[in-house]
Amino acid sequence: MLSNRPRILSVGTANPPDRYTQEEVLAKYRMPNKMVRSLFKSGHIRTRHLMLPEPDADGIPRETQSELLAKHRKGAMMMGSEAIERALSPMGLTTADIDYLAVVSSTGFMLPGLTAMFIKHLGFRIDCSRVDIVGMGCNAGLNGLNPVAAWASANPGKNALMVCCETNSALYVYDEEIGNGVVNSLFGDGCAAVVVRADPMDERHFAPRILGFVSHLIPDTWDAMHYDWRDSHGKFAFNLARDVPYVLGTHAETPVTTLLDTFGLKKRHIDHWLVHSGGKKVIDAIKYTVGITEHDVRHTVGVLRDYGNLGSGSFLFSYQRLLHEGKVRRGDYAVMMTMGPGSTVETALLRW
Amino acid sequence: MRPFETLDYSESGEIAEIILNRPRMNMQMVRELTAVCDHLEDTSACKVAVFRGRDGVFSEGIDFEEFRPDQGMDIHGFNKWEKLCVRIERLPKVTVAAIDGIVRGGGVQLALVCDARIATERSTLQLDEVHQGFLPGMATFRLGKYVGLGNAKRLIMQCPVLDAEEATALGILDEVCDDLDIAVGATIAAFGPIHTVSVALARRLLNESYAAPFENAIGNFLAAQHRAITQSAFLETIAKARESGE
Repeated sequence: MLSNRPRILSVGTANPPDRYTQEEVLAKYRMPNKMVRSLFKSGHIRTRHLMLPEPDADGIPRETQSELLAKHRKGAMMMGSEAIERALSPMGLTTADIDYLAVVSSTGFMLPGLTAMFIKHLGFRIDCSRVDIVGMGCNAGLNGLNPVAAWASANPGKNALMVCCETNSALYVYDEEIGNGVVNSLFGDGCAAVVVRADPMDERHFAPRILGFVSHLIPDTWDAMHYDWRDSHGKFAFNLARDVPYVLGTHAETPVTTLLDTFGLKKRHIDHWLVHSGGKKVIDAIKYTVGITEHDVRHTVGVLRDYGNLGSGSFLFSYQRLLHEGKVRRGDYAVMMTMGPGSTVETALLRW
Repeated sequence: MRPFETLDYSESGEIAEIILNRPRMNMQMVRELTAVCDHLEDTSACKVAVFRGRDGVFSEGIDFEEFRPDQGMDIHGFNKWEKLCVRIERLPKVTVAAIDGIVRGGGVQLALVCDARIATERSTLQLDEVHQGFLPGMATFRLGKYVGLGNAKRLIMQCPVLDAEEATALGILDEVCDDLDIAVGATIAAFGPIHTVSVALARRLLNESYAAPFENAIGNFLAAQHRAITQSAFLETIAKARESGE
């Protein structure tokens, strides 16, 4: 049964070319609110890749909703094509070899969606099956990986590709509100793509099998993180409730325990933890509720420091760093964990 | 649990007792202590784990019998030992080193990872590794937190034999006693009521206290505190306070 489990065969990532320190973003725009400025200076994030507009003469950047949507499309096209190429080329694959394309994104609504755009422009076959997973937020990489893994299991030997594509700077709203200050100081732009396949021939690849998933929704906190229309701004804006990082942390232990129980494992058997880089507080909360160490979240913290919160693909940046580190051994287990609006904690178990 | 050779394990009420059966630690003892940690984490309902020695020896440290220089030296066993120390240090139980007699080397290391260290008057402590040409494990990391850097340098580099009074004055031992059983009982009682979540969180923050910058430590504290105040123990405290009109 285990041999039918799909593997993550490769990962590729991309970011927009412009990289800013927090100080550089502060210097670029007029942001007099001291609370907002202090958010930028908290130190947990050093740099982010962003697609930022030039400010008007008064130091304020002004983007309409249609400009933000255009940025979402442009960012997806630019980062998506690079991340896809970087995921496929080490496997000797091209986009024409992909049988199932899943694109995960929450940074703009499009119809037709990003899968259709990628197929049109990037050389995918027109009979490539596809799904767009839209509007599920930071956790959505695992909500996407679940059906991708299921499709791969049901279609042995066929290539599935998941692309998490988030142009978070297309969510930015500039005002003096702390809420938007949190968003503008936290999120960065990035894209991650993974090739997933269930094929006994892949035994020769040093690649982890995806063993299972457990989800955990916290209905009491359904409005703790929300993105909705603001008449006052004439655009969508994101909002985060204050204590949500800790609440997510409190609930994180339940799905992890369920996931591990399913496979007769204990936390001490898990060699690697790939946690979404949601922010400093939620990472701290997960350390102390799930009971994992600073070392366990080293890539999570590192990705947050270097990129900010990249949304749905963030945990795959940590996954890529883990692989580059070269410490993974055959037989190792990893838990992937993403958190986001719903509020929700999503988990997956991998084994090399 | 299978019977152990290098140690005796028993449980009585909320207290688990681990008696080290041989004066020196070998790999089998490390494996068996690791199995004890598995049991304490996974199945045992005990809230306290007491480590003891036997026949006037708590532990004299590592057993050199198992080293085979002709077959090459490697660090594997030391790594296993350090992992065990971390396991014990993070057990979701209150841990007590109940010492009667000689404590050397790895025995001192074991005592340092416990939450409390109590010894009889005749007990002596010594980290003798450096005089023997090797290192006292991560006592190099932990000891200074108990005694300060200057004392740690003296104890680790000069390897003096401390009597129980001196070790208490330095802060390595909590208490010197006449009757170990009575003193251990009193110490365990002093830990009560034991809420395993707040115990484990408080201990973790304390263990991290000298290593983490304040900016990280405050974030860690807030996360740990949020976990603590959403647990039943604290909610019961609040309910009681409300009932009594505080």
